[in-house]
Amino acid sequence: MASDPVTTKPVLEIRDLALAIGGARVVDGVSCAVAPGEVLALVGESGCGKSLTALAAMRLLPRAATLAGGEVLLDGENLVALPEQRMRALRGRRITMIFQEPLAALDPLSSVGTQVAEATGLSGAAARGAVLAMLAEVGISDPARRIRQYPFELSGGMAQRVMIATALISRPAVLIADEPTTALDVTIQAQILDLLRRLAADRGTAIMLITHDMGVVADIADRVTVMYAGRIAETGPTVELFAEPRHPYTALLLAALPRLSDAPKAPLAVIRGQVPLPQAFSAACRFADRCPLADERCRAEQPPLREVGKGRLSACWHAERVR
Amino acid sequence: MSRPALTVTDLAVHYPVRGGPPVRAVDGLSFTIAPGETLGLVGESGCGKSTVSKAIVGLQRPTRGSVVVDGVEIVGADRATLRAARAKMQMVFQDPATSLDPRMTIGDTVGEPLLARGIARGRALAERVAALLAEVGLRPEHASRYPHQFSGGQRQRIVIARALALRPSLLVCDEPVSALDVSVRAQILNLLVELQTTLGMANLFVSHDLAVVRHVCDRVAVMYLGRLAELAPRDALFAAPRHPYTRALLLSVPEPDPAAQRAKPRVPLAGEIPSPAKPPSGCRFHTRCPMARAHCREAEPQWRRVGESLVACHYAEETTPV
Repeated sequence: MASDPVTTKPVLEIRDLALAIGGARVVDGVSCAVAPGEVLALVGESGCGKSLTALAAMRLLPRAATLAGGEVLLDGENLVALPEQRMRALRGRRITMIFQEPLAALDPLSSVGTQVAEATGLSGAAARGAVLAMLAEVGISDPARRIRQYPFELSGGMAQRVMIATALISRPAVLIADEPTTALDVTIQAQILDLLRRLAADRGTAIMLITHDMGVVADIADRVTVMYAGRIAETGPTVELFAEPRHPYTALLLAALPRLSDAPKAPLAVIRGQVPLPQAFSAACRFADRCPLADERCRAEQPPLREVGKGRLSACWHAERVR
Repeated sequence: MSRPALTVTDLAVHYPVRGGPPVRAVDGLSFTIAPGETLGLVGESGCGKSTVSKAIVGLQRPTRGSVVVDGVEIVGADRATLRAARAKMQMVFQDPATSLDPRMTIGDTVGEPLLARGIARGRALAERVAALLAEVGLRPEHASRYPHQFSGGQRQRIVIARALALRPSLLVCDEPVSALDVSVRAQILNLLVELQTTLGMANLFVSHDLAVVRHVCDRVAVMYLGRLAELAPRDALFAAPRHPYTRALLLSVPEPDPAAQRAKPRVPLAGEIPSPAKPPSGCRFHTRCPMARAHCREAEPQWRRVGESLVACHYAEETTPV
């Protein structure tokens, strides 16, 4: 199995991760890595396993899901094998996560200042100073007034900034952002994406961005891992992957998007059929039934993730023929 | 020119607030849609676009204004008039799962409007249902199945089939593809474009997604805080927006093209949408507008023609193309 060709030494590396729900491998053979200051996008449609992969990295899997194999290395330490007590010391400090619905993730009964301070481990004037500085850094104006406010008084964009402040105040090495702008309007989304990009650049935070939106990927990701039905379809640097996809699924996904530059009302590419249910996963390539390039081999044998260019990996027998 | 399928004049919906000024969710909107035309209504959350669509189909009583569908006034109409008019306008919502009764077969769901109005029954009804299912790309044998047996995209096809059953002259779609994955969304968009040409219905297409709106619409109206900022033919609006808000919205859409996307300004629009309970004085956009000056804080801009656009901005001539 080829490992993720991250350019510099990764701070977070997921190796051959496998997760099972009720006996079905809903995540299978997933490897990806993210380096300090890098934004890696994990992209795919609903049910592809991108969020479960992120939750596994945080050791926050839902009860129904079990780890069936693989490692999650943070600074070389395998999180999967850690006692819960040690994991608790890392979670929220070295590795943190933000979610799609900031208002659901914040404590409604606790003021902004209290919530952000809680993540510092500091108290009193030291905590207050750190919180005010952090709120200013995430673009919250008048932080001295904001720390007294409660989540219900915040707009969606403001709440997401507070959540980002809470996640970053302990200066974690890794931030996992699960659809952080999906619930926001486009003008606010642009503000939050800009903030995440600056935080990665200025603080050297490694960001793993979970998203379904190829526009968001194009905006801030340095590298992309495309997932389909619990497996990695392909991985590569963003610019190259968009210009020359090496997996038929990526190619079709990009062609199915209406763009501001294409001919209005022209038929969009369609991916026939549906994502297979986990119970129906077989030895075949999971995309074979929907793939225009599929042949006998694809229907018999799962393609391994292999190198198909500089920094490029593809799990397709016909990667060289994808157009 | 033929009679418009929809004429909206000075539509306003104000929600009363105890002990405070009303929330002016929609505050004086006028537009028309011609038969066969698709008008996109775009804007950010809270701008009032969904309230407009609800007021048009009679699910929300307007505070003032007029809504005329196919020549019939809806606002203040009696029950019989309203019932007759409802056959001419149908609605498709964002979430197909909540639009379908889980205990009814697909055939019963799609055929219900025909049965309820005594248009068809028995064998004739079954045939009509089969034809409607075929029209949206489903198979006749699907009629005996239940909603849970279908995927999200197929359910949205079922909702569309039901909406088409009475051959409405106006179809109101409120975020019809927002809950769908990219590959499925493409199928539904292709279907909606196909139906535009085959059926010649007027279509009000409410969405926050400008790429989707550009793909399916002939003209586009942009809303901000309960008012129209701009209304223009599609190509004019996307190439040469006249309202600075339209321009900022266009620049904010993340495009699936890394080179193009990274060449754009990083934050096209600062600040947040003000509360519709306390809209800013003068031009409602002045608190966020990069072009705003003193006059914008004081005087509300008139709705006027600039180039191919109708626009509410004092300085629309100065807006630079995207």
